[in-house]
Amino acid sequence: MVNRFRESWQKFGIFGIFILIVAALGILSPEYFLTTNNLTQVVLQSAITILIACGEFFTILIAGIDLSVGSVIALTGVITGKLLVSGTPVVLAILIGGILVGGLLGAVNGILVNKTGLHPFIITLGTMSIYRGITLIISDAKPIFGFPQSFKEGVAGWIFHIPIPVIIALTVALILHFITTKTILGRNIYALGGNAQSAWFSGIDIKKHQLIVFIISGICAGIAGVVMTARLGAAEPLAGVGFETFAIASAIIGGTSFFGGKGTIIGVVMGGLIIGVINNGLNILNVSTYYQQIVMGSLIIAAVTLDKLFSAKK
Amino acid sequence: MKPLVEMRNITKKFSGVTALENINFDILSGEVHILLGENGAGKSTLMKILSGIYEPTEGSIILSGREYSKLTPADSAENKISIIYQELSLIDELSIAENLFVGKLPTKKVMGIPVVDFAHIHEKTAELLKRVGLNRSPSTLVGELPISEKQQVEIAKALASDAKVIIMDEPTSSLTTEEVNKLFAIIRQLKKEGVGIVYISHKMKELAEIGDRVTVLKDGKHVGTKPLKDVTTDQLVSMMVGRELNAKNLNPHRAETNEVIFEVQHLTRKDRAVQDVSFKLYRGEILGFAGLIGSGRTELMNAIFGAAELESGDMTLFGEKVIIKSPHDAVKKGLAFITENRRETGFFHNFEIWKNISISSLVRKSKWGGIWGFVNKQAEQQQAEEQKKVLRIKCSSILQNITELSGGNQQKVIIGKWLAAQARLMIFDEPTRGIDVGAKSEIYAIMRKLANEGKGILMVSSELPELLAVCDRIIVFKDGRLRATFTNEEATEEKIMLAATSDM
Ligand SMILES: Nc1ncnc2c1ncn2[C@@H]1O[C@H](COP(=O)(O)OP(=O)(O)OP(=O)(O)O)[C@@H](O)[C@H]1O
Ligand SMILES: [Mg+2]
Repeated sequence: MVNRFRESWQKFGIFGIFILIVAALGILSPEYFLTTNNLTQVVLQSAITILIACGEFFTILIAGIDLSVGSVIALTGVITGKLLVSGTPVVLAILIGGILVGGLLGAVNGILVNKTGLHPFIITLGTMSIYRGITLIISDAKPIFGFPQSFKEGVAGWIFHIPIPVIIALTVALILHFITTKTILGRNIYALGGNAQSAWFSGIDIKKHQLIVFIISGICAGIAGVVMTARLGAAEPLAGVGFETFAIASAIIGGTSFFGGKGTIIGVVMGGLIIGVINNGLNILNVSTYYQQIVMGSLIIAAVTLDKLFSAKK
Repeated sequence: MKPLVEMRNITKKFSGVTALENINFDILSGEVHILLGENGAGKSTLMKILSGIYEPTEGSIILSGREYSKLTPADSAENKISIIYQELSLIDELSIAENLFVGKLPTKKVMGIPVVDFAHIHEKTAELLKRVGLNRSPSTLVGELPISEKQQVEIAKALASDAKVIIMDEPTSSLTTEEVNKLFAIIRQLKKEGVGIVYISHKMKELAEIGDRVTVLKDGKHVGTKPLKDVTTDQLVSMMVGRELNAKNLNPHRAETNEVIFEVQHLTRKDRAVQDVSFKLYRGEILGFAGLIGSGRTELMNAIFGAAELESGDMTLFGEKVIIKSPHDAVKKGLAFITENRRETGFFHNFEIWKNISISSLVRKSKWGGIWGFVNKQAEQQQAEEQKKVLRIKCSSILQNITELSGGNQQKVIIGKWLAAQARLMIFDEPTRGIDVGAKSEIYAIMRKLANEGKGILMVSSELPELLAVCDRIIVFKDGRLRATFTNEEATEEKIMLAATSDM
């Protein structure tokens, strides 16, 4: 019985909850919530959460965590901004400032985890602070702006009435979904999350996979940093503070097990959307942002409790 | 005499699959009641109902005159039932003493405040360890112990609470003769004190030595309960498997060719657990490794497989010099390692059966250091179906999660993983641990077939009869060094034991 419920919960629970929340908000506030304009806004706001959550997902999948994503957003944003104002071509600035730097910052996390053998929580707690510090130093704690129009339009514009950030987030999610379900790399990461000892004895190079996981998380946060900079029209050195909470919450609400080895990208995307919808709904219902934080925290605890309940023996 | 425990008409279903059907089972004071059956027959499930892990779907349990429709772990403990689980349940991060008294740490008052009385538990632990014959300090972390010693700690733990009923689910699967004898002495003592014991084992030889009554299960049904002296081993086996088992002639012999397919020269581990070991493996032969627990056999296999650092030594595989620095290198070079502690080093609790089976084959076919390549669900599932057939894995579908299988069937899945990887050199470390008699001889036959196909087979086993029945040559280890080599014709249990124990 519990078993059945657990299975269907894992498969469909997340969609059910999403529909429930949307329906509730639709009833509470039909004139605002259910407008195309507002729904587009929700998806647009969720894009950045989904981007970092997809990367975060991999680190949680190996029973780790990445607390540095918020700082990576700021640092990649500021570097991309600097490159743009110094006249670097837009595409090059994005590739270097967002993807390359994001990947490098992730690699630093991965290398530190591998070399020290410490839990990723400790390492990324440290780099969260270090990356933020570097951001403040190179930006002189001031926002950077004055970017070419093509950057803003190309990254934060619209194609066929669809916001480009949404297209970017979905593309990233699709690629990562493919990696998790169709590649040996993906299967190995699940194995590593399930039982690292067994993975090693089965011939999986654990350190290499851990490194890749953190690089993925870094690249995702780097892309999020570029998108955010384009949307704001400025690179803010304090961008992304506290975003790791959203990333972790999306992954967990989306059914990723904190104990490692279980979860899906589709779940994470749904988790990101749920958070977006809830935030938007609370805004529409005029609930203060202070309460929103309480709701977010409660959601994380509830989701992990459910996971623990269901993974306990029957 | 009234039984200590009576289980009546027990039925247990797991999401529609019947694991036990209408079972009656009782335990008398001062007896050893043996519970026998093939892998997946329902032995562990029946005992987990008694320890309060599972609820029976139907039936009742009578304990000290009270009838229960189900037990909670607390009920079970209150009635002084203690269990040694098949899957060891110790906590690696705690010391031996803490493991023995977890949940019931004795306290003493210091200035009115209760504090854990460590002096007392260390003293009691030391006593218990001596009783089971484990020579370790009570403060040793359990995580540092090899699997055989963990099993001894598990036995000590069952003794720590003065139980009236002790269930032993394959307590000796990792033990050698010496430790088994210690356990039997303890059991005889417990019998005198009036304790009732349920004993589950696939080692048929042990049963006659220790058992009073035997109950045989087959596919969740009760086949019979008899005094052990009224049945022969052959009768028991045919009750268990429902057919005659004719021992296959494995035909061990000294290899006829002189073609060396694997050679180790002067291998020494950095931690000195293995020193200056050299041997050759000829085409077509199964090479066995005998020795006491801790003699360095598993340590040698770890070293060959790249799971331990080497100080020096060379390896040649099919004429080619190989350097193996990690298990990844080993798998890539075509090695397979069916490890001794398969739950910790072979098993993915988050994977279905088919994913557990395909994992190392995927590593073998991957590129770029193991990260590039695609999974192929259909091919993988087909591969799993094949292994299910070859190893007779008892499951309702390969899509089941591995944790839903019986202990022995989980072991078979992990063996299937390495058979599927189609390695050139296969290391079998205690390959028949937890495997029933019928399946044992099938695994021997598979090993023989692989050897005949030209694959290299190394086999570590603590059961001498098994080594003698399967291996063409047997190497004896002591203190991390090679002590003697016997051909199958020369080898006897006595000669091997002598080489394994004497200081030459
Ligand atoms: N949690 C579970 N979910 C579904 N099926 C289960 C579960 N636990 C056990 N079973 C099934 O019940 C049957 C009996 O399993 P059990 O573990 O009792 O066997 P066993 O006799 O102890 O075998 P072994 O000798 O291999 O330990 C098996 O077919 C197994 O697949
Ligand atoms: Mg069992």
